[in-house]
Amino acid sequence: MKEKPVNHAAAAVAFIADKPHLDFHDARLWDMRQKRDAQMHLLPEWQDLRSRASAIKEHALANLADYLEEFERNAKSNGIHVHWAADGADHNRIVGEILEARGAKTLIKSKSMVTEECDLRPYLAARGVTVTETDLGERIQQLDDQLPSHIVVPSVHKLTSDVARIFARSYGTDPNADDPHQLAEAQRLAARPVILHADAGMTGGNFFVAETGTFVVCTNEGNADLSATVPGVHIATIGIERVVPRMADLGVFIRLLSRSALGSPITQYTSHFRGPQDGSEMHVVLVDNGRSARLGMADFWTSLKCIRCGACMNTCPVYRRSGGLSYGAVYSGPIGAIIDPTFNERKYSTLPYASTMNGSCTNVCPVKINIHEQLYKWRQVLVEHHQMPFVKREIMHMAGKLMGQPKLYRAAINGTETALSTLPRFALYNWLNPWGKNRELPAPVKETFHSWYRRNRPTAGRATPETVKTETKA
Amino acid sequence: MSARDSILATLRRNSPPPADHPLPEPAVLGEADASPERFSASLLQMGGTMLDRQQGATLDQAIALRFPKPGLMIRSLVPEATGTVRIADLPTPQAAEPVDVTIVRAAFGIAETGSIFLSEAQLHLNAIAHLTQHMVVLLDPAQITANMHTAYLRPEFHTARYGVLMSGPSATADIQGVLIRGAQGVRSLTVCFAPE
Amino acid sequence: MGMKIGLFVPCYIDAFYPGVGIATLELLERLGQDVTYPTEQTCCGQPMTNAGCVSDSAAAEALFVKLFSGFDAIVMPSGSCTHHVRSHFDAIEQTDAVRHVRANTYELVEFLHDVLKVRDFPWAEFPHTVGLHNSCSSLRALRTASMSELGEPAFSKPMTLLSGVKGIRFATPARPDECCGFGGTFSVTEEAVSARMGLDKVRDHFHAGAEYIVSADSSCMMHQQGCAERNRVDIRFIHIAEILNGARQ
Repeated sequence: MKEKPVNHAAAAVAFIADKPHLDFHDARLWDMRQKRDAQMHLLPEWQDLRSRASAIKEHALANLADYLEEFERNAKSNGIHVHWAADGADHNRIVGEILEARGAKTLIKSKSMVTEECDLRPYLAARGVTVTETDLGERIQQLDDQLPSHIVVPSVHKLTSDVARIFARSYGTDPNADDPHQLAEAQRLAARPVILHADAGMTGGNFFVAETGTFVVCTNEGNADLSATVPGVHIATIGIERVVPRMADLGVFIRLLSRSALGSPITQYTSHFRGPQDGSEMHVVLVDNGRSARLGMADFWTSLKCIRCGACMNTCPVYRRSGGLSYGAVYSGPIGAIIDPTFNERKYSTLPYASTMNGSCTNVCPVKINIHEQLYKWRQVLVEHHQMPFVKREIMHMAGKLMGQPKLYRAAINGTETALSTLPRFALYNWLNPWGKNRELPAPVKETFHSWYRRNRPTAGRATPETVKTETKA
Repeated sequence: MSARDSILATLRRNSPPPADHPLPEPAVLGEADASPERFSASLLQMGGTMLDRQQGATLDQAIALRFPKPGLMIRSLVPEATGTVRIADLPTPQAAEPVDVTIVRAAFGIAETGSIFLSEAQLHLNAIAHLTQHMVVLLDPAQITANMHTAYLRPEFHTARYGVLMSGPSATADIQGVLIRGAQGVRSLTVCFAPE
Repeated sequence: MGMKIGLFVPCYIDAFYPGVGIATLELLERLGQDVTYPTEQTCCGQPMTNAGCVSDSAAAEALFVKLFSGFDAIVMPSGSCTHHVRSHFDAIEQTDAVRHVRANTYELVEFLHDVLKVRDFPWAEFPHTVGLHNSCSSLRALRTASMSELGEPAFSKPMTLLSGVKGIRFATPARPDECCGFGGTFSVTEEAVSARMGLDKVRDHFHAGAEYIVSADSSCMMHQQGCAERNRVDIRFIHIAEILNGARQ
């Protein structure tokens, strides 16, 4: 059976219907965008930083195999165990084996989008490992059994009252407590004993450095450092595209990351792991999961430059009004809409259409991914691969034909039946119907411009051929 | 073929032409001011605090004024301060968890962001930087570097196995966007300029 | 000038906003231009291409080139159609005629500002407070104004032109660069998000004190007007060509 595509539009209807959540979500993310702008204005070298970040990433991707080998060599010589996972199943098996070999039954982890991609938590739960997310937002999402709705602020679609309800259920706190400080304190108090007695810790990684075998984790809460330094085993899951060649390159990226994401100059914690402490173990799992294939896609490989700052989500007017969960995918927003189809073309075939292609995402991207142009390109690929709904495809086909025939077109504009009888009227009208749901139609006019022109400039504009032969590319 | 070899083979097959994507020379961009004043301003912006040291007061006295609650467990990793517990008595994260205030010296600071750098060389047990409730950091003003570009030229990044840039206390805004200082790690981070 | 100008009037302007076409024509004539509207024109092909159905745009693009390749310049009161012709006219073979058309197609504001370099519109007076809406095509593809995301020095070609109109005042919305949510077929396939964005947009202008929203793109305004009317936001809409041509309201 064919998988059904994600219905982003329907999910958005539900999201918009809830005004308090919608209003907060839009305002909060717009505020992040504003703070990002303020940081940009403080740095005259901002565009230079973006260009350099883009060039470094493109260079690293064009030489990715070499840099991965260099990283592996250096990390190993520092005492890090390096593992390679071809896909999510591979990744989960590797992590499961590391934990099993050490008899680890409890794992604390900080936020990692790659582990979401791999769907690690259910895999480990089935093997008797209790996984506790330690990032506040991610923990809220775990307790509510939802995917993160944003790659930087996972629970940004929730209000304090939602968190109070979830914490009351899980931590036994007062369901009516609506002070965020109290709720955050409840999380701190609940997490501490779990962290202190965990058998192993896990983090993601924002960057890794080929030159030194270092990986870098950027967070604000300090939970990643707790997860990494308290238990004796630290496993870091990192996508293979996150490599930078030299330690000196990090300056460019660290300066851009948090400014783009949250509008703060730097994350509260920028942690560099180059090797295990005495008596501890450190593992890095390098995850491919479709990335090496994406590198070969001429129009889409630069999406691998992404540093997961979420700036494209914050600025996206569609994302702000539909919420991350409406994308039905691990990655949401503009960046999600261009990388999700590489994971499952049919399931995510609707996402490149969940955009007005306004281009704001491309402008805020710190590594200059041409996001809106990739959305545009994805639509062509999806049509070529027959992923567009039949009715829409037919309408486009009919419209295209009509536009090449001036007489028929003019008749259609004038509303004569001869023209409309050649169109699938019912389908067309049904398809256009949603216009009027929350909007008025334009008022009818006495005459078209065309007719006005013929009356007022009677001798002009006629010296054109009757029909035109269509020339298409071979 | 192993996952490793097949990933590397696919990458080599699919890679865009390396010659089209040269690596730029390392950049040192931006403001070059490495003054203590710039550092302090950046630290305050990140939610950190500068220790108010009155003329003639000892470090212990200044810390006592900063943390006046009686009976606090204070652990010093620096000779300039005494503390109330001995490091040797806190050999594990579990034993170290009840500590209220930890005093440590940073290897260097970054003026652009108000960050301080700590590694195993300063911390002895890395987890204590995150389990302690509050942290007081001594920083030699001569060890302030201007910005992130100059910071990454420091040798510590090539020697430390664990090196953390802490920029103010731990923070979160995950509940309805409200900024909360002191999320999971330190509740406060106080810096005191102290030449070494 | 001696330039032969072909006027393209987008399908929705032809059918719903003939006054915009008339104002564009009259304004160019007033500025001494030799303007012809080839009456067999239909559409630039943008709706099909933006949906991903590139091959379905071929007939429209071929017709467009046939009708307009003989002109020195092609001018249209639409940023998104201009963007399509200039950047996305890819469904047909790239002949010299196609290249000529792509290189010489202008959105009206660009044409007035960059080619004719008009700054004064002594016949125009518009004693009202207006909020300027730049379509995303005009703003981020044609770059007729500075973009807030880039922090570049501020400029605005439409604002420069409007400043040559007597009595006009400007309202500044809180989010001037935010997309209004029209997005072509997006307006029906993502109806809920589209209509919400449109409503937020018109409210933003209204709260900033705008009596009118003025734009170089009627498609955005068709959508915004629909949202304003349904939600009883008391704001009116006018195309920049109408103001520059001396419309009195």
